[in-house]
Amino acid sequence: MTSTFERLSAILVKNYKLAPERLTLDAPLESLGIDSLGTVELLWNIEDAFGIKLPSDPVDLPTLGDVVRFVDELVLRQAADPAPAAGSSPGLRTT
Amino acid sequence: MRRVAVSGIGVVSPLGNSAADVLANARAGRSGIRRLDIPFASRLSAPIAGTADFDEEAHFDATQARMLDRFSMFALYAANQAVEGSHGALADVDRSRVGVFLGTGMGGTLTMDSGYRTLYGDDSDRIRPFTVLMGMHSAAAAWIGIEHALRGPNLTYSTACSSSAVAIGEAWMRVACGQLDVAIAGGAEAPLSPGSLKAWEALRTVATMDADDPSASCRPFSRNRSGMVLGEGAGMLVIEPWGRATARGATILGEVMGYGLSNDATHITRPSVEGQAAAMRSALQSAQIGPGEVDSINAHGTGTQANDCTETAAIKAVFGDRASQIPISATKAMHGHLLGAAGALECVLSLLAMRHSVLLPTVHLQQPDPDCDLDYVPNQAREGTAARTMLSSSFAFGGTNAVLVLRGSS
Repeated sequence: MTSTFERLSAILVKNYKLAPERLTLDAPLESLGIDSLGTVELLWNIEDAFGIKLPSDPVDLPTLGDVVRFVDELVLRQAADPAPAAGSSPGLRTT
Repeated sequence: MRRVAVSGIGVVSPLGNSAADVLANARAGRSGIRRLDIPFASRLSAPIAGTADFDEEAHFDATQARMLDRFSMFALYAANQAVEGSHGALADVDRSRVGVFLGTGMGGTLTMDSGYRTLYGDDSDRIRPFTVLMGMHSAAAAWIGIEHALRGPNLTYSTACSSSAVAIGEAWMRVACGQLDVAIAGGAEAPLSPGSLKAWEALRTVATMDADDPSASCRPFSRNRSGMVLGEGAGMLVIEPWGRATARGATILGEVMGYGLSNDATHITRPSVEGQAAAMRSALQSAQIGPGEVDSINAHGTGTQANDCTETAAIKAVFGDRASQIPISATKAMHGHLLGAAGALECVLSLLAMRHSVLLPTVHLQQPDPDCDLDYVPNQAREGTAARTMLSSSFAFGGTNAVLVLRGSS
């Protein structure tokens, strides 16, 4: 089974044209050219790719490893309780 | 006031994406209006527009492109072309004394349309995160400022169809009065979203499609005119004090001499003879020239019943008996109505026409109209005739009329 890190890396390679060898768990997002605005878009893409709904509260994710842990935790939690975290998202139900 | 030179020109338009192409097509009377090739076309009563042949992927990498609405891409591309063509206008300059002045009527309407389609069409809440940044009217000017690190005034004007004439005029004033050393000024518009096309259709101002030749659907000053045709593109200028441009050995492409504004203050759409005439008079006054010095006019000339008669009467009011001797070009017949970018594209065409000694034609002028009885340079360009001074007129819904006074450079 593909790991969260591999799926995340695939998004980064495809959408941000990043070289795969630069993608490590301790790589800061800023060093990959993904600033706070870029993170907003990355999280939006993650929602689609992982079929999860992110909470609207701000979240601090300095490294790729932090993103992986954050996503894993949400996947687990939302698998146990499929109700969306906030608001309704009809588009998600089709994914 | 200082003299203001145009030292760079950039353009994206239905007539081409360089000054050379635009001039070649315009003087040949080739129309850039074509049948729309989009899935939504079947829902339009007149599926035609002036479309720019612009390969977004060739000009912007994926990371940049997904933050840019098409109107911002047009603006950036045209601004970069103008800066490059100026051969060093931005070298050795205090960048806090360089401004960006951009007009747009509809801003990032394609982005907003796409967001609404997600929300209402697809019944999904998955609005793209950059929708606000791409849709805002000020995005295009902001990106130009970022691209060239320009820290002076960064302003966006939205006065409908006169937006970019206003932007160029306001930039001219700031350079002329000594406040700025360089300005990048013009306009950009990418209005061909389904929602926008349908909204313009609903207003009943758009032309019916010429069944035999869709490219001939816009017919300014012709009795059988039936309305305007939307177009997309951008025109951007680099302007700077005359002395600075000559001192650094720049090629001077023309001069902005003045700019006049008026407001109809009568009706939200119906143009007024008094308002249009007042804008032309105000422009002449600002350039400190008399009506006798105007050799040619690039008309607003939309091809609507209302505009063309009103504009003809306004020109007569300003120029009196001489009106019939002034060649008038309505180039929208070839490129369509670029709304907020129209004034900038027509300013570019006027400068190029003067520089290359040609009077541009009003194409598709098939039937003389007794209410439009001036010299519109019908159907054929007049080669070898160099206007020295031109007016470029832009009259808008909402009533904001803007007229630029331009001088050629050979």
